[in-house]
Amino acid sequence: MNENNVILEVRRITKEFPGVKALSGVDLSLRRGEIQALVGENGAGKSTLIKILAGVYKRDSGEILFEGAPLELHSAHDSLRRGIKVVFQELALVLQLSVAENVFLESFPLKRGGAIDWRTLNRRTLEILGSINLDLNPTRKVSSLTISQQQMVEIARALSHEAKVVIMDEPTSALTPNEIRSLFEVIRRLKVLGIGILYVTHKLEEVFELCDRVTVFRDGQLVSSKPVGETNTNAVVTDMVGRSISTLFPRTHSGRGETVLGVRGLATDQKLKGVSFEVHAGEVVGIFGLLGAGRTELAKAIFGLDPVSAGELELRGRKLRLGSTSHSAHAGLGLLTEDRKGEGLVLQMSVAQNMTLPSVREFARFGLIRTKAENARSQEYVQRLAIKTPSLRHKVEYLSGGNQQKVLLARWLMKKLQVIILDEPTRGIDVGAKAEIHKLIDELAKGGLAVIVLTSEMPELLGVSDRILVMSSGRITGEFGRTEATQEKILAAAIA
Amino acid sequence: MSSNVLNRGSARFNLSRFGELGLLAVLVVLFLVFTFSSKYFFTPKNLSNVLGQISITMIAAVGLSLLLICGEVDISIGSLQAVAALPLVLVMNATGSFWLGVLPALAVGGMIGVINGLLVTRLKINSLIVTLGMYYLLRGFVYFATGKVPISDQSGKDFFFMVGNGKLFRFLPYTAILMIVIVVVFMYVLRHTTYGRRLYAVGGNPEVARAVGISPERLKLSAFILCSLLSSVSAILLASRLSSANHMAGQGFEFQVVAAIVLGGVSLAGGVGNLLGALIGVLIFGLIQNGLGLMGVGTQYQLVITGAIIILAVAIDELKKRHA
Repeated sequence: MNENNVILEVRRITKEFPGVKALSGVDLSLRRGEIQALVGENGAGKSTLIKILAGVYKRDSGEILFEGAPLELHSAHDSLRRGIKVVFQELALVLQLSVAENVFLESFPLKRGGAIDWRTLNRRTLEILGSINLDLNPTRKVSSLTISQQQMVEIARALSHEAKVVIMDEPTSALTPNEIRSLFEVIRRLKVLGIGILYVTHKLEEVFELCDRVTVFRDGQLVSSKPVGETNTNAVVTDMVGRSISTLFPRTHSGRGETVLGVRGLATDQKLKGVSFEVHAGEVVGIFGLLGAGRTELAKAIFGLDPVSAGELELRGRKLRLGSTSHSAHAGLGLLTEDRKGEGLVLQMSVAQNMTLPSVREFARFGLIRTKAENARSQEYVQRLAIKTPSLRHKVEYLSGGNQQKVLLARWLMKKLQVIILDEPTRGIDVGAKAEIHKLIDELAKGGLAVIVLTSEMPELLGVSDRILVMSSGRITGEFGRTEATQEKILAAAIA
Repeated sequence: MSSNVLNRGSARFNLSRFGELGLLAVLVVLFLVFTFSSKYFFTPKNLSNVLGQISITMIAAVGLSLLLICGEVDISIGSLQAVAALPLVLVMNATGSFWLGVLPALAVGGMIGVINGLLVTRLKINSLIVTLGMYYLLRGFVYFATGKVPISDQSGKDFFFMVGNGKLFRFLPYTAILMIVIVVVFMYVLRHTTYGRRLYAVGGNPEVARAVGISPERLKLSAFILCSLLSSVSAILLASRLSSANHMAGQGFEFQVVAAIVLGGVSLAGGVGNLLGALIGVLIFGLIQNGLGLMGVGTQYQLVITGAIIILAVAIDELKKRHA
């Protein structure tokens, strides 16, 4: 390695939070024009490291060398001023302002006298956008852009500060395949410009497509850092989880029973245009669709979260009242929502309280909660799903993403259900937890539940489903049995 | 199981926990300051008097805390205090029975709760706006109905007088006994019943509540009704103290209660808070009003101090959200 090419070096960085050692003695170096992937399970320390580099957290010990000189960061603004730009998942944009205003937010070009020099502002924004081959009008309001375009604006802001290091935290999690492609082009432009890029991701295929080097974190330590040419997916996964994981989908359930859920002509005012299908006991039905196909809307309509304009639902031959979640839950339907924070967790409540939200009545007599029973049951699921939490009373807010997802799963596993709908059950969680969830899906079906899995991940769809339904523009446009389904057929139906 | 929100098991620094200890300290300091600055303060008579006053506030504060925890607010409770006393005194005067007067007082309260609750949950109007409207509407109604002249109690019922003014062992006001019973019952409800759990869930995140099969609308409606009913109970006690239905009764009461319970750690954003905190908040307000009065501090300063405390209360609420 050419020492002169190293732009950012981290030496023996340690960071501790009450009760957790988030980073212990991490060394890492990034070269100019290098795209380095940071991977690791939830809670491995990636986020902590980038927050230290962003100036959000202060390290406990160790040092940061930037262009060979020690770097002390006191705030997020500080790191940007020094040339390190972090693009977080939650974008730091002022939606009401224009593209150009956002790009130069911290340092508007001024005329003499202090007024903003609009012409220079827009011209320089155009230049910057041009340097990464982006065609955007500088005067457009950021609120009118897509998420992907907004990301580009953040990257352009990095360039306005002549950033030498750009750090991206799971930038593709909310993007469509096309948008991902254009993001990759932009990132490759940055590479050409000599910028060092740290790319945090959960998606290993992206690592091998885009990155030069892959660095693996586990339990707050750097486990390995290799050029992508010298490693492969299995080796990376093994490094991540510290054991080898079977990427095969377990399959112990077999044969479907009687019809449990019948959906007939379900329609909503906005999206659904008459959807009909059946799900049987002991069967996993996978539902696929591109963004905007109406998958999540279908799940919400079935569970009663969204009002339904036409159609009916039958649960074991009995008509189900539409549009009432309390009736659905009472009848034995469960929905794991896609949006963890918005529709999943009550952040102020404890782990146990979040788990028992829908089933708390099962632990109560005349409305009085029998806390012992509640805790015993919660503890059982904490162990069964290997949820990492200091105690049942710990606020769920402080758990890592994967563990939060497990809490949500436990919530529905605890309850006696007939049908469970899982909307993107493995989004944003690491491979180890993913495999556990796939195993759980199999177990649920084996236990006689009717399982509906909505997913945008093709391997997961093909791996867990007995039957696959494909949605497009609010309708079902394809149905495939386990053996006949292929990626091509599914995609063809999805764009129909 | 400990309180839902204090999270005592966590090793993490927690401002809400600090907040309650801090509030207790404030309470103790106030107590000492007033004891040393006025010889009338630490006397059985005065303490008993303060206890009687805060009890009326606290009973309404219990109701409002429930409502705040599930994410809504009701500022019509002061006006309701004046309104609910009307049927009480009128029916008592007509029939000579205290209990026959209580029934319509509670019925009126319950009805106002239903109206507030339905407007908020069905029409999706912000509860601050709905109850602000109700605040003016009810007060106007009382002015109209009484002609701005207090309707005094002519039933001559000793019992009615004793309800608000009587004391056990000549020290402990009956109002305080009722208050303690209500506080203990609702503390238990909040901590150990499915109803309490659902209130926190709805206030914490109504979308989540709906997604687990709870109807936020129905729950909020019930909290509006409980809040109005408890306010009506406080109205009955106040009417007993005033021996009349007074068109001025409860003027400004709603804001005192909101300020006191927010000071006590019940979040305006919903989902956070408990009755112990609310009680401490109400005690602090009660002591300040009483103590400053005894020290002969002018009304103008009392207002300034009260205002400062309200802002402090909201600032603490805000900081809590940031550190939580």
